[in-house]
Amino acid sequence: MNTGIQKRKTIDTTLKVLLVLFVFTVPLWVTSPTTLQILIFLFLYAYLTTTWNLVGGFAGVLPLGHSAYVGIGAYTSTVLFISYGVSPWIGMWAGGLIAAIVGIIIGIPTLKLRGAYFALSTMAFGEGVRVLVENTMQLGPFNINGPRGICVPLIPGNNIAAFQFLSKVPYYYIILVMLCVVLFITWYISRIRPGYYLAAGGEEPEAAQSLGVNVAKYKVWAMGLSCFLTALGGTFLAQLALYFYPKQILGLDFSFELAFIALIGGRGTIAGPVVGALILRPVSELTRIYLSAVLPGLHLVIFGLVLILVMLYQPKGLVGPLEKLYNWFLNKVSGTEKEVRT
Amino acid sequence: MDIIIQALINGLLTGSYYGLAALGLTIVFGVIKVINFAHGSLLMVGMFAAYWMVRLTGWHPYAALIVVVPLLFLFGYALQGILIKPILEGQRDVREPTEVIIVTTGVWYILDNLALMIFGAEYRVVQTSISGQIFMLGDYIFPKAQLYGLITTAVTAGLVLWFLKYTRTGMSIRAASLDRDAASLMGINQYRVYNIAFGIGAMIAGIVGCVLIPFYYVFPTVGVIFDVKCFIIVVLGGLGSIPGALAGGVIVGLIESTFSQYMTSTWTELIVYVVFLAVLFIRPAGLFGEKRDW
Repeated sequence: MNTGIQKRKTIDTTLKVLLVLFVFTVPLWVTSPTTLQILIFLFLYAYLTTTWNLVGGFAGVLPLGHSAYVGIGAYTSTVLFISYGVSPWIGMWAGGLIAAIVGIIIGIPTLKLRGAYFALSTMAFGEGVRVLVENTMQLGPFNINGPRGICVPLIPGNNIAAFQFLSKVPYYYIILVMLCVVLFITWYISRIRPGYYLAAGGEEPEAAQSLGVNVAKYKVWAMGLSCFLTALGGTFLAQLALYFYPKQILGLDFSFELAFIALIGGRGTIAGPVVGALILRPVSELTRIYLSAVLPGLHLVIFGLVLILVMLYQPKGLVGPLEKLYNWFLNKVSGTEKEVRT
Repeated sequence: MDIIIQALINGLLTGSYYGLAALGLTIVFGVIKVINFAHGSLLMVGMFAAYWMVRLTGWHPYAALIVVVPLLFLFGYALQGILIKPILEGQRDVREPTEVIIVTTGVWYILDNLALMIFGAEYRVVQTSISGQIFMLGDYIFPKAQLYGLITTAVTAGLVLWFLKYTRTGMSIRAASLDRDAASLMGINQYRVYNIAFGIGAMIAGIVGCVLIPFYYVFPTVGVIFDVKCFIIVVLGGLGSIPGALAGGVIVGLIESTFSQYMTSTWTELIVYVVFLAVLFIRPAGLFGEKRDW
């Protein structure tokens, strides 16, 4: 084998290993809880966007109501914890299951329709859930406290069973592992048969159908899986913030932000959501911190401009050009530029 | 009984301007097959324009139409020509490019937040010559501003239908909405037709803005309320269908007004969502949607 290509491979692997090591050792040398909190939120958004991407990216539709499933996860585990003392670790699976069932029920009629119907229906469904929760104080035996939201009861000290920790470090590792797991799931799905069907149905539904692929069925399953995983993220969010209310956790803005992160990063790619979160989260946090005091709303104007520019000039998302840049860098360093070209 | 009839009247009046707002959205979808997420923001722009006209000149709110209609038409025309056309050109083979949703959402964020920066977040209301006036028919009350809204809806819908049916440009719009490739082959400038359709959609949003000014608050995010309502209405009625938009608007208006006799108005909002989901299960293409559009 050519030495240049070998060298390129070594550098590539080394960089990737270093990145993984870096990410997993961050809490060892970052002690500021604020920085950790920002990173935790970054990973949480990357996680939620990756789960969104299962249906929004691979199935080629545009769900705009995923905050509903985040909310279902958060509310289910918290309500079970308050009412029966069920550990959120168990409650999160219940929330995931409910979210998956709801997602499948919503998906069955809407996923057969054209994309526009799906986008609008999911959005209306998300808003409907928010209105329902805001107007309900008592849901059966459970107190969900309407528009005021719920607090997760505090348990003193570090309590693994109650999913509550004094330091940010455990949260950091939990969300990091969760993110790795969903990334693995997306990677795995993208290389098995149902994943191919899904991608085919997302790109060319008519062509896939005429080849005998039951497009709607695979989309519905993707929707169920996506909603399930999204709800798990909802439980994490509830345990991290310990307080949440409908306008925040079930809001339209939240649903839209997830979609935007995926679209700007690169929908339908595995790395896209993570790249999107890495780029957009700091942009939105920083512009909000530094610009909202000067002119409220300016940060969202900038956000809107970024959206438009990315869609006009990189409609497939930013992951493509970044990958090119990385390859260019690898070639430059290992001197394989000419060989790869020929 | 009287209460019910009065509630039905109110529902019809409210539903008419809902329907008009949805009409703008459905025309854009019918022709270009994209959803304009900035529709509510265009409505907000129309409201602010009408608000300042009335505030500064003291004219009748409908006089603001002289400014709002051409302004919004040109704005919509330019929006489609500058921002959406490049995407449509790049994705000729895609039937419904989702990128357009994102671009129009970007426009939504920009417009809403520019309004927030310029006008502030407070709710504004302006006293016009028809605000609070009523018209009695027997024992039933018709608020004048809303009654004018109903008439405006009828006139606008009639004009739009006439325009689409009998003018040359209208015919080319319909041709392009049926089959854009065939229309192009017949010598129709596809993108000019799209610009006009988008302009009409924006113009209708502006008209709704003028209709709303005598009796509705105006604030930077007022469009979001109408966005969500319009989306429900167009899906209820069938995306792209003009009678569907009007009927859907009236249905939503009637649900809100009749159910609010029995429950708090926030719950009626929920009923609207329930009806919406029920229709979606029973008749997914909407009440007036065509099956080929599924």
